[in-house]
Amino acid sequence: MSGVFALKAAYAVTWIVQLLYLRYLLTRFRRVRREINDLKRHS
Amino acid sequence: MKPFSIAFIVLTLGLLAFSTYQALFVAPTEQTMGEVQRIFYYHVPSAWVAGVCFFVNFLASIAYIVKRNEKADALAAASAEVGVVFCTIVLLTGPIWARPVWGIWWTWDARLTTTLVLWLIYVSYLIVRRFAAGSQTQILAAVIGIFGFVDVPIVYMSIRWFRTQHPSPVMAGGENSGLDPAMLHVFFWNLLAFTCVGIIFIGLRYRLQTMEDTLEAEHAQLALEGGSQ
Repeated sequence: MSGVFALKAAYAVTWIVQLLYLRYLLTRFRRVRREINDLKRHS
Repeated sequence: MKPFSIAFIVLTLGLLAFSTYQALFVAPTEQTMGEVQRIFYYHVPSAWVAGVCFFVNFLASIAYIVKRNEKADALAAASAEVGVVFCTIVLLTGPIWARPVWGIWWTWDARLTTTLVLWLIYVSYLIVRRFAAGSQTQILAAVIGIFGFVDVPIVYMSIRWFRTQHPSPVMAGGENSGLDPAMLHVFFWNLLAFTCVGIIFIGLRYRLQTMEDTLEAEHAQLALEGGSQ
């Protein structure tokens, strides 16, 4: 593996992990908000 | 979302773009390793953020044990999870750097092994929080958070205490350590940018945890009301 390829791979991996985590958080936010709204509607 | 939060996110995105540009195009190329050394500008700040997150988890866990404060528990959960995310980045970018420099992806030296153990401790912490049932889950998690933190100074000191394949400390490593000033300021820009990302992630995760706790409490209240009718 060349140095430049490793550099690109490491930076890409960092961004991918951070973006995946952000996506995971936003998905959970949407689900909790939906559940809170459902609860308000039923109560 | 509050205007301050939006401004902070926009500032962080700008900072990330600037620090990445600095790392890739402004910082001088290291003579021995060449371009691959630039991984350092992402690898070390990620390790820093992971360490800070685990320290926050440690303090919040103590606060929870002492005061049984739900906000402290939410902060502990948030910081542990974000710490694991950044520790994962450390464990991925490290081997990517090692392959062209050492010729191997991994070696069981003190720094790498203690970092892997650290990651496993906090993954265990998250598993306990997620799957343990009963009223003692938060206390159990707090105890893991307090004792698990013991590994953080061991990780930090491992390259000082043991002869390792991992590079010697660049900061505060004695007479022969240090960075070129042109590299140092790029490093600090990246450290600042990653710290801001860490703060945003902890803030979001903390908000999510408090919302989930509220939802759980309302579900419990509804179940009680249903049961009493």
